Amino acid sequence: MEIIPTTIGSYPRPDWFKEYLKRVEGLQKEGMNEIEKGEYKKALAEILNEQKNAGIKLLTDGQLVWQNMLCHLCTRIKGFEMSGLIRYFDNNTYYLMPRATTKLERRGDIIAEEFRLAHEIQPEIKAVISCFTLVELSKDEFYKNKKEFIMDMAKIMNQEVRKLVENGAEYIQIDEPSLLYAGKEDLEITREAIEVIHRGVEAKFFLATYFRDAEAIFPEILDFPVDVLGLDFVEGYEKNLELLREYRVTKEIQAGIVDGRNTKIEGRDDIKERINAILGIIDSDVLYVSPNTGLEFLPYQKASEKLRTMCDSVI
Amino acid sequence: MTRRLLPTTVVGSYPKPKWLNHLIGEYAKGKISDEIMEQAYQDSIKAVVKEHELAGVDILWDGEMRREEMTSYFAEHIDGFEIYGDVRVWGNNYYKKPAIVSRVGYRDELTIPEYSSLRTITTNEIKVPITGAYTIVDWSFNEFYPRKEDAVYALAEVINEDLRGLVKAGAGYIQIDDPAIPTHPDEIEIAKNSLEIATKGINAYLGIHICYGDYSKIYPEVLEFPVDQLDFELANKNFKDIEIFKEYEFTKDIGFGCLDVHTRRIESVEEIKTNIRKAFQLVEPEKIYVDPDCGLKLLPQGIAFEKLRNMCQAARELREELV
Ligand SMILES: [Zn+2]
Repeated sequence: MEIIPTTIGSYPRPDWFKEYLKRVEGLQKEGMNEIEKGEYKKALAEILNEQKNAGIKLLTDGQLVWQNMLCHLCTRIKGFEMSGLIRYFDNNTYYLMPRATTKLERRGDIIAEEFRLAHEIQPEIKAVISCFTLVELSKDEFYKNKKEFIMDMAKIMNQEVRKLVENGAEYIQIDEPSLLYAGKEDLEITREAIEVIHRGVEAKFFLATYFRDAEAIFPEILDFPVDVLGLDFVEGYEKNLELLREYRVTKEIQAGIVDGRNTKIEGRDDIKERINAILGIIDSDVLYVSPNTGLEFLPYQKASEKLRTMCDSVI
Repeated sequence: MTRRLLPTTVVGSYPKPKWLNHLIGEYAKGKISDEIMEQAYQDSIKAVVKEHELAGVDILWDGEMRREEMTSYFAEHIDGFEIYGDVRVWGNNYYKKPAIVSRVGYRDELTIPEYSSLRTITTNEIKVPITGAYTIVDWSFNEFYPRKEDAVYALAEVINEDLRGLVKAGAGYIQIDDPAIPTHPDEIEIAKNSLEIATKGINAYLGIHICYGDYSKIYPEVLEFPVDQLDFELANKNFKDIEIFKEYEFTKDIGFGCLDVHTRRIESVEEIKTNIRKAFQLVEPEKIYVDPDCGLKLLPQGIAFEKLRNMCQAARELREELV
């Protein structure tokens, strides 16, 4: 059995980089036109180092220039305009709500360039995209048909994934927190969408869910064309264990076992207990362990402390 | 309490003078003495109070010159909190998110020195805003208490202790800022209990300010809160929320937010009058307080002043029409 520590996506920005971004961008800007590559790469190297030193084996680029969580991806897609601030799930974090006003099109790299730069520094990087959640958190002023909207998004993400793989990506994570709040019809559309994202691509696919237990997506999720299923074992510990017991899950699991939204550092024994509970149920050679969410909810110094404690508990 | 009709007030914050921000920065670097910094705060408050008086505000506050923002200012003065660093809210905006690391307890006076010092420089009525226990906990990390409500109730006791001292010092009007309440409608009972603890034995006129939330999620339950006044932001959503409040009899006084603090556009006196009249659909004019949607600190100072002045002028004209 191999346990692989990984991260979910976001990482708090180093203090100097926060100040730098405020200086060049003001309060909020789209894209990274004004950001000098040198400054970005310096910040990127710093947070990759933090992850590496903590013991993370499969890293993420930290989404350092994302203006908000996930919906930032929409700012890079033609067809979206941004409107007012909206709360991101139950967090004290906000995003500019994207409005789809014309047909969506990929107008250039979404995250492929950020991935390339991270991959140059560290080879083991997981690229993070999303599809259904982006649609769910947006406002449709064009499609009038949710399935079309989702499928166009999937086509764009497929093009992006192809570019990512060209740039060296072997691991693709599709973040879908909204799926945990979705109905069965949306689940079926999302399954089709992920098939589209997957099409013609040779890579290991993760589907990440978080913020609550995964009751809403079982058992349908078992037929999704992904290799690894990410579950939140902080918010949905008991329920997710129950689901794993009830259904024979043949996919690998990415288990969110430490709380990415609380500065409280978990005890190693608690972490070990969680891991053992999961290992006792699943039937696979690999278990990915991670914080349940991205780490941007934490102050910088606490993010690495979380990761270190998690990784130390795995050994 | 007898007041003139449609008294005008502020929610709390006002733009800090540029020189004050500069001095706060220098003070943080250790380049300025405590004494000079204290003098700077006092002088800036005098300037703000003068502006409020010139604008015609009836019930005023000190513009929150001493508060950096509404969670960490209190957390820094209460036992049990630690602040590790900044957390992002959106874009390039961050706040110092406190963590509760041990039992919370009353240490420093929170609002009393602010009130007492303001009392010496104005004869106007004063409203004292304080962030509610529910919101402080919701915007903090909880490392210590097993359940969120345990933290909320413990903190409500701390707030209660401060409010007792505040009333003893002479304050007659207290506003509890609790914008986090509508973000977790399933916890409204916890919020209500926390207010009951915080306001126990407090003999003053009490309001609660709740902004930028979905009011349909907390109305009519919020009518049961132990306060005299509910203060809402209405201009931001173009007064559409009145429809929500019309569904049940509005049994409290209303703090009627009628200036959009997120736009630099200066609402005209006529426009504000028309909008204040919309409050008459809910309650008698005797039960209406006129104020901006929220704190004014994000606006340029000149614009904040002109908005306030027009608001006060609108209230004055309506007052004359009513009597
Ligand atoms: Zn407010």
